Amino acid sequence: MSRSTRVKTTTGMAALVVALVVLVLAPLGLPPFAMTLLTEAVILGLFAMSLDLMFGYTRLVSFGHAAAYGLGAYACGWMLLNTGMPLLFAVFAAALLTGAVGIGVGWMCTLATGVSFSMLTLAFAQLLYAISFKWTSVTGGSDGLAGIPRTVGPFGFAALSSKAGFYYLALACLVGGFLVCRALVRSPFGAVLRGIRENEAKTTALGYNTRLYKIAVVAIAYGLGGLAGALYAPFAGFANTELLFWLLSGQVLIMVIVGGAGTLIGPVLGAAFFMLMEHQLSAWTEAWALYFGLIFIAFVLFAPQGIWGLATGLAGGRLRSAEQRH
Amino acid sequence: MSTLALLLTQTVNALSQSALLFFLGVGLTLIFGLMRIVNFAHGALYMLGAFVGYSLTHWTGNYWLALAGAPVVVGLFGAAFELTILRRLYRRDAHAFLMVTFGLALVVGEAVRLTWGPDALQVPAPPALAGVVFMLDEPFPVYRLFLVATGVVVAIAIWQFLERARLGLLIRATSQNADMANALGVDVKLIRSCVFGIGCGLAALGGVLAAPLVTASNGMAGTVIIDAFVIVIIGGMGSFLGSLIGALLIGFVQVFGNYYAPDFSLAFMYLVMLAVLVMRPGGLLGKEA
Amino acid sequence: MALLELDGVTRRYGALVALDQVAMRVEDGEVRAVIGPNGAGKTTLFNVITGTVKPSAGAIRFAGHAIGGLPSHEVCRLGISRTFQITSLFPEMSARDNARLSAQARHGRRWQPFGGAKVFAESEALADAALQQLGLGAIADQPAGLLSHGDQRLLEVAMAMAQQPRVLLLDEPTQGLSVEETAQAVETLARFLHASKMTVLLVEHDMEVVFRLAQRITVLHRGAVIADGTPDEVKADARVQDAYLGGLE
Repeated sequence: MSRSTRVKTTTGMAALVVALVVLVLAPLGLPPFAMTLLTEAVILGLFAMSLDLMFGYTRLVSFGHAAAYGLGAYACGWMLLNTGMPLLFAVFAAALLTGAVGIGVGWMCTLATGVSFSMLTLAFAQLLYAISFKWTSVTGGSDGLAGIPRTVGPFGFAALSSKAGFYYLALACLVGGFLVCRALVRSPFGAVLRGIRENEAKTTALGYNTRLYKIAVVAIAYGLGGLAGALYAPFAGFANTELLFWLLSGQVLIMVIVGGAGTLIGPVLGAAFFMLMEHQLSAWTEAWALYFGLIFIAFVLFAPQGIWGLATGLAGGRLRSAEQRH
Repeated sequence: MSTLALLLTQTVNALSQSALLFFLGVGLTLIFGLMRIVNFAHGALYMLGAFVGYSLTHWTGNYWLALAGAPVVVGLFGAAFELTILRRLYRRDAHAFLMVTFGLALVVGEAVRLTWGPDALQVPAPPALAGVVFMLDEPFPVYRLFLVATGVVVAIAIWQFLERARLGLLIRATSQNADMANALGVDVKLIRSCVFGIGCGLAALGGVLAAPLVTASNGMAGTVIIDAFVIVIIGGMGSFLGSLIGALLIGFVQVFGNYYAPDFSLAFMYLVMLAVLVMRPGGLLGKEA
Repeated sequence: MALLELDGVTRRYGALVALDQVAMRVEDGEVRAVIGPNGAGKTTLFNVITGTVKPSAGAIRFAGHAIGGLPSHEVCRLGISRTFQITSLFPEMSARDNARLSAQARHGRRWQPFGGAKVFAESEALADAALQQLGLGAIADQPAGLLSHGDQRLLEVAMAMAQQPRVLLLDEPTQGLSVEETAQAVETLARFLHASKMTVLLVEHDMEVVFRLAQRITVLHRGAVIADGTPDEVKADARVQDAYLGGLE
C-alpha cells in the first residue's frame, strides 16, 4: 500500500468515525420531524448499500431490488400484525426469509447474464408486485398492511419502540450491515466478485464456479435489502404495494450510482441525497421528480464516479498536491 | 356463446394484443440490435405517443392525423435525444445507457403528468372504426380487427424495409459489424440517430393505437415496458423475427390467461419467459447467451 | 503412463466434424505443439480437454482421471490451466492481483467470506513466484490493462502458472504480437520452459515459435491427426507438406 492510499484510508476512517458520532448524537439536537427523515434516510441507506454488493462489486445490474425491500416489509409487517412476535425478532426473521428467497431468485436470474439477468430480476419483482395485489388475505391487496405495531419484546427492549430508540435500531443495522459488507468485499470471496465484475469469462476459466458466487451475493444482497424493508414496515406503520414497484427499484439504483457504486458508503450518501432532494425539491416545486431525473442524467454523463468518488477524488487530489510540494 | 365463437373472438383479441406488443418489441429490438442499448424509456415513449395522439386528435379533430403525427413527433424527439445525450456515451459500458434511458423514462413520465394532468384521457376511435362486426353471430369491435391489420401491415413493411431498402441494408450491416460498416463509408452516427428515432416512433405508434382501447394514462408506461422486455428476451435480443414470435406468444398467453385464469395471467407470462430462458438463455432466435 | 491421454476423441457440430477420432499421449515434462492449417480443430481440441466443450465421443484421461465432459472449473481444479488465443485479463487489477486471483482459485478456502489474510498471503506468494518465472516481477504493480501486448500475453501464462498446474495449455501465446515482441516473448517462454520442466500443450501458427519451443509435434488436419513426431520427422512428412501446401491452393 502506497503512502498516499494509506493516508487517504486513515482520513476516510476518521471522516467515518466523525460521521458516526454525529449520527449517534443526532437525536439530542434534531426536532422530531427531522428525526423521521433521518431514520428513513438510514433505512434507505442500508437498502442502497445492499444493492451496491450486486451492482458495484459484481456488476449484477438488478432492476428488481424493490422485491427484497417489499418482501422484507410485508414479512415483518405480517409477523408483527398476526403473531405478536417482538419487534427485534420479527425484523431479523423477515431479513432471513428474504435472504432465503434471494437464493431462489439468484438461482433463477443467474440462468441468464447481462441484460437478460436485469430483466429477470425485474420480472421477479413485478411478479411479487402482482401477487401483493391478488393475495389479499395476507397482503391486504391494494390497501396493503396498515397499523403495524412496534411490539415490545419480553427482554426490556421497550426503548426500541420510541422514536429515538427505533432510530438507534436502524442505525445499528446500518453500521452492522456496513461492517458485514466491508468484510465481505475485502475477503477472498470479495476478490472473486471483483473478478466477475471485470471479466466473468476469465474468472470461470480460472476455475471458479462463478454462478455459485453470484447466487450467494444475490442472497446476501436480498437479506440486507430485506432487513431494510423489515425496518421500514414498523417505522412507517404500513407496508403497501409501492414498496414492490419497479419505480423503487429504479430509485435505489439511482441512489447507488449518484452516491458512487462500489464504495458501500457512497450509496448511503446517495440515499441521503435522494431523501434531501425529494424533500427540498417537492417543497419548492411540484415537478421534483422531473428535476431529479435531470440531475440523475447529469450524474451519469458527467460524474459517473458519484458523490463519494467526487469527494474522495477531491481529497486525494489535495493530498497528492500536498505530497508534491514536500 | 358457442365454444367456437369464443375461441374465434379470443384468438382475434390475442392477435390484436400481439400487434400492440409487436410495435413495442420491434422498436426495442431494432435499437438493441444496432447499438447494444437497452432503451428503458421505451414504455415512457409509448405513453408519450398516446398523449401526443390525444392532443393531436383534439386539435385537428382527426384521429388519422394523430395516428400519423404522434410517431413522427416522438420519433424526432428520440432522434434528438440520441444526438444530444446518448452519443456521448458510446465509449462507456452498457450500464450507462440503461441509467440514462431510465432517467429519460422518469423525466418523460413526469413531464407527461405535468402537461396532461394525472387523470386518464379518453381517445375516441374514429367513427369508421367505432362499430362492431358480427363473427359467428357474436359482436366484435372493428377497432381490434383494425389493430390486427395494422400489425400485419407494419410487420411486412419493416421486414421489407430491412430486406430491400438501402437504409435497411445499412442498418443490418451496421448491426453486424459497426467498425466494418464505418470503414466502408457508412455514416454510423447518422444510422444510430435514425434507428433510435424509428424505434421510438414505433413505440409511439403502439401508444397512439392503444389509446382508444385503454385510454391514455400515467400508469401505462410501467406495465408495457415489462411486456416489451419480456417479448424481446423471449424472441432474442436484436432479432426482428424473434420480436414477432415473442409478441404473438405473449399476446396469446395474456389474452387466454386472462380469460381462463385471471389471477394467474401475469405469472403465466413470466413462466413462459423463464421456460424459454432455461432452454435457450439467449432467447428463441438470439445469438448470444 | 502418459499424463494426458486422448483416445478416439470426436466432436461434431451438426454435419461438421471438428475433431475426428483424435488420439494422442502427452508425457510428463514434455512440450508438445499442436499445429495445423486454419480450421484444423486446434482450439476445439483445447476446448474439449478443458471442458468448455463436451466431446461427442471418445475418452480423455488426465493423471488417471477420466475428464471427458467434466465442467471446466472441475477440470481446472484437477491441474489443467490454459491461456486463450485472445488476451483475457482483469484490466483494472494490477498484474500481481491478476495472478493472485488465479492462484486463489486453487486454494481450499478461496470462497472465505471474511478476513482471508492467510488465503491472500499464500496466493500472493504463488503469484509473485509465477511473475518472477516469466520475468514480470518489475511490473507487478501496474494495472494489467496498461501493460504492453507482449507482457499481457506473458501475464496470462504467469496466471496459469500461479495455479501450479500439472499441464499448461497455451493457445497461440504470441498471437497479435509484432515480430520483435514475438521474439522477446519466445525467448522468455523458452527460458521459463527450460527451467520449469513444465508439461505443455501448445497451439501455435508461427512455425519458428513451434520449432523453438516444442520437443514433439502433433499435426491436425480437418480434425484428424495426420502426423505425430519430433520436429524433424514432422518436417519430412509428406502428408504434412501436402496438408499445408494443399491449403494454399
